[in-house]
Amino acid sequence: MSLGTLARVALGELERAVMAQLWSADAPLTVRDVHDRLERELAYTTVMTVLGRLAKKGLVRQERDGKAYRYAAAASREQMAAEVMIDALGDVGEDRTAALVAFVDRVGPAEAEALRRALDTPAGTPPPTPPRSPES
Amino acid sequence: MASVWLTGLALVLAGPVPALLARARWTRAVPRAAIVLWQAVAVAAVLAAVGSALAAPEALLRVLTHPQDRTGVPLVIAVGVAALLASLIVVRLLGVLVLLAVRTRVRRARHRDMVDLLARAEQNLAVGSLRSGTVLRVLDGAVPFAYCVPGRVGREGRVVVTGATLDTLCPDELSAVIAHEQAHLAARHDLVREGFTALHQAFPVVVRSREARDAVALLLEMLADDAGRRTHGDTAMAGALDAFASSGASVDANDEVLMRRDRIRAHVRGGRALAVGTYLAAVALVVVPTVTIVIPWLGEALPVVGVR
Repeated sequence: MSLGTLARVALGELERAVMAQLWSADAPLTVRDVHDRLERELAYTTVMTVLGRLAKKGLVRQERDGKAYRYAAAASREQMAAEVMIDALGDVGEDRTAALVAFVDRVGPAEAEALRRALDTPAGTPPPTPPRSPES
Repeated sequence: MASVWLTGLALVLAGPVPALLARARWTRAVPRAAIVLWQAVAVAAVLAAVGSALAAPEALLRVLTHPQDRTGVPLVIAVGVAALLASLIVVRLLGVLVLLAVRTRVRRARHRDMVDLLARAEQNLAVGSLRSGTVLRVLDGAVPFAYCVPGRVGREGRVVVTGATLDTLCPDELSAVIAHEQAHLAARHDLVREGFTALHQAFPVVVRSREARDAVALLLEMLADDAGRRTHGDTAMAGALDAFASSGASVDANDEVLMRRDRIRAHVRGGRALAVGTYLAAVALVVVPTVTIVIPWLGEALPVVGVR
């Protein structure tokens, strides 16, 4: 099954599933690892293409490990959620670039402050880069 | 004289007029017309500033020298200074606009990607009845919260709500909120906003560009509220705003939400006459100075530099 024949909705769903595997993994995964963990009828090349797309978007980091590439999420799920919220909230603030995300209707200032702190002090939160595992 | 008139006009349009218009309450009755008026004020102010820059050296030269001497080097200098001043304004504005547009689109693309990954897929299916070309995304979140992210070339925009929004709002209210966000996306309100944001970034001090940006942002919200009211009723739209406002501590943004709620509850709706008058004022702002100041001045100035 080539990506061209996949509906956009299916592709989005696939990206979510692949990302979920990377988020739940302790270490960077190879395409084969992700393919096996997904437990569904998918071509190896499809998984590879999805990982490539995610890497191109900057949401997944690609690192060379011998002959194979290993993939890891660029940020944890919590960090990504925080970034989204701050992006959305930033529209209200003065110092933000623009009508980046237009038209925020409502957010709690306490939550905004907590999110900002969470991003400013990465020490307290899980490290942004998942630990490498050279021995595997 | 053209230079003096244009300078005065630019100052009035950059200072007192935005200050008054930002404080005016009647604009809330006719948000669409009021936004057009704001745009006309902005365009007229920029044109007047550019015009005064172009006309000033020529006027100065006329005062300083005798008419028969106005050839050769002084004229070249005058034209050069005029072009420089005018292009400074234009280049500054265009530069900011381009930079802002690029940056905004890059960050929006990233935001869309992240929202797509974080969305709770099972919840997306629960909320149907979306206009085609729009995607609803439900994020985890304990605070009721809704916004939209415009897509590339007006397609595939995302309406984003938190899980708490689904839990808090009744179905009618939720539909009204979605209609509100879709109105933003369908009418490309983000482009209007981007223009005023660029204006403020390009000319942040002295001129009242911040008031303009904020007033237009509020009017755009009211315009989208009206779209929600039309399709799902005043009660649903006001109820949704009430739920958004009452779920958190008070901030500036919260006051605006309450203002919008009260506007709907008070059934503020402008008459046709007010809207037509506002549109006419907008057209007049751009046309009248052009006809009364710029065209006569061009008639005088162009023959001097040899253009007939």
